[in-house]
Amino acid sequence: MKAGPRFVTTDLRPLELALQSEVRAFLAEELPRGSYRPGLGFMAEADKAFSRKLGARGWLGMALPKAYGGGERSAVERFIVTEELLAWGAPVGHHWVADRQSGSTIAAFGSEAQKQRFLPGICSGELGFSIGMSEPGAGSDLAGLRTTARKVEGGWRLDGTKVWTTGAHRTDWMITLCRSSEESDRRQGMTQFLVDMSSSGLKVNPIPFLDGTADFNEVVLDDVFVPDELVLGEVGRGWSQNTAELAFERGGPDRYLSTYVVVEQWLRETADLDDEALRLLGRLTACWWGLRQLSLASARTIDEGRSPVVEAALVKELGTRFEQDVLEALQHLVDVEPSPQSTSLFERLLCEAILTAPSNTIRGGTVEVLRSVVAKALL
Amino acid sequence: MTTDLLVATAEELFAELCSHQAVQDAERTGWAPAAWSAIAEMGLPWIGVPESAGGQGGTLSEALAVLRVAGRHGLPLPLAETGLLGSWLLASAGLDVPAGPVTVVPVDHGLLYDGRTLTGTATRVPWARSAERVVVLLPADGRFAVASFPTADLRVEPLTNMAGEPRDTVHFAVPVDVVAPTSIDAEQLRLRGALTRVALIAGALERVRDTTVQYTAEREQFGKPLNRFQAIQEHLVHVAQQAALVGAASDVAGRETERGGGAVETACAKSLAAEAVHVSTRAGHQAHGAMGMTQEYSLHQATRRLWSWRREWGDGAFWDRYLGRLVAARGADALYPLIAGGTAALG
Repeated sequence: MKAGPRFVTTDLRPLELALQSEVRAFLAEELPRGSYRPGLGFMAEADKAFSRKLGARGWLGMALPKAYGGGERSAVERFIVTEELLAWGAPVGHHWVADRQSGSTIAAFGSEAQKQRFLPGICSGELGFSIGMSEPGAGSDLAGLRTTARKVEGGWRLDGTKVWTTGAHRTDWMITLCRSSEESDRRQGMTQFLVDMSSSGLKVNPIPFLDGTADFNEVVLDDVFVPDELVLGEVGRGWSQNTAELAFERGGPDRYLSTYVVVEQWLRETADLDDEALRLLGRLTACWWGLRQLSLASARTIDEGRSPVVEAALVKELGTRFEQDVLEALQHLVDVEPSPQSTSLFERLLCEAILTAPSNTIRGGTVEVLRSVVAKALL
Repeated sequence: MTTDLLVATAEELFAELCSHQAVQDAERTGWAPAAWSAIAEMGLPWIGVPESAGGQGGTLSEALAVLRVAGRHGLPLPLAETGLLGSWLLASAGLDVPAGPVTVVPVDHGLLYDGRTLTGTATRVPWARSAERVVVLLPADGRFAVASFPTADLRVEPLTNMAGEPRDTVHFAVPVDVVAPTSIDAEQLRLRGALTRVALIAGALERVRDTTVQYTAEREQFGKPLNRFQAIQEHLVHVAQQAALVGAASDVAGRETERGGGAVETACAKSLAAEAVHVSTRAGHQAHGAMGMTQEYSLHQATRRLWSWRREWGDGAFWDRYLGRLVAARGADALYPLIAGGTAALG
């Protein structure tokens, strides 16, 4: 029988605790409570100026090589910065994708020229990235994608449509997975490209979210030229590169803290907590604490040179369902009919969270897909 | 002995002592004398108790690691009560640790100590009938003190929990010859008791996970093993998640307690353990179908213990309230620092 997921718990060391204090002091200074609208996890606003400040502190691209502007810091240090930003509801939208996964993907598979060109901008907070994976006919089953890349003189011509592309209307680049040749195995013949969002033939159409917000997009690629030097990694190896990229984005604090600020604000606005409220507060505290232990353990594991793919999937499956349960529990407790126009920030955040929470268990790998990842390790 | 070696030794011994039949027999008779002799001979009940006090030495984490193995096997003995709770109390008060099994009266016992005699009735005292001594933490002079009594001097009514483990009612009407002051208070004892249940639950959750993984690999329906069905895989994920979550929580709570804190961590861990019992037993039983409901199949030896242990030393609701008060007293700004920092963030 297989051992299944394994977590070795850890705690923060003195230098790591010092970093935590530094981040908290920075946030208190830059974003005093009440001076900004807290965001829900990585759905928070895009604020390039704020991202640049993080970059200046060395808190973006933390794991990337110093030669390219990175910090060569540990996964645990990155975990610390990330959890503090998310718990604060900081506007992380601009750099989120670039920092979490595009930078790592370029560092892992990119050419020397690509690393020099893109990584410094990611580390400084200058460049924003999007992810061009999903398509109208290819969601969880990504092998069904149909966007094509056709070899031409000096480069490639891309044709097709990407959907659910967060931030495509404001980002600079998109790492796009395309079919570059027809193979009998659907997972073969794929290639990743670095696509300039200002390319001729590339059109971004908003796909308004059900709450009316427009961070979600369709990206139409109509004969978009991508020069050879912007092929990311090896031609035909896109599937395995993409799989590695997905592993980068699972299991972090963003998978259980998306609705945290709603509870914090509820606590801030509630004078007297009755017994039921105290119990709920305690239960949620315990859940966040426990999920954090697992997520932190995974980060430490990465620093020890292992790749906790299954563990990350397990945490994400558990954490994203919990993010939704938080809202349900609050609604059992608090007798309000929340209005998006309420004078109460708690109510406004609750509305926003209720309307967006279904996506938590879908984005970046649905819970169903994650379960199959975990279950395979147990078969 | 390293912790890994200690755990491996305990694993081997407990597996041998806790055959399906042996556990069933112990539930029926209320005691497993041969098993007790075997673990006592190796000193396992007194790990974490200082050698100077008559214990085995070793750390709290090591004792909890062994207790987790006991939980995995449903070891039908007062392992937690003898060492981590009873000997801990006795040693803290400078009292001798006896050679035989010891039990402890849970907190909020309502016993009355008038300075000379102890009277009243304590319920749910684990294995009182087989213990050599019953240890009680008493309020005395605004502080706390430890007293212990030969079981022969007490009247013991045999009762059990849902897992057939002795949880006796003990009637006290005894002179108190020795009351030894201790620095341990009722809250610390409660936390320590909860910590022992977290470790036991962590072990039993591993048992549910392993049993479910194995059964669903072997059992075939509709022409293929159960574990090939997505609906069943969801159950596997849930039992694996809960075992991982409580296992981690148990480790961290033990580590922090060993460092002198651990209140927040233990409370979080016990809260999570209670919910984990619910999720894991539901998924585990569902995946087993009717087979899991039979006495001859061993799943129930883990699940009945889980249902019992979650209630002992405070169920989830108790610890949720405890945590909720800690958070509420400090306010919204302190919430995340508490989640990230635990007891150390209480200041």
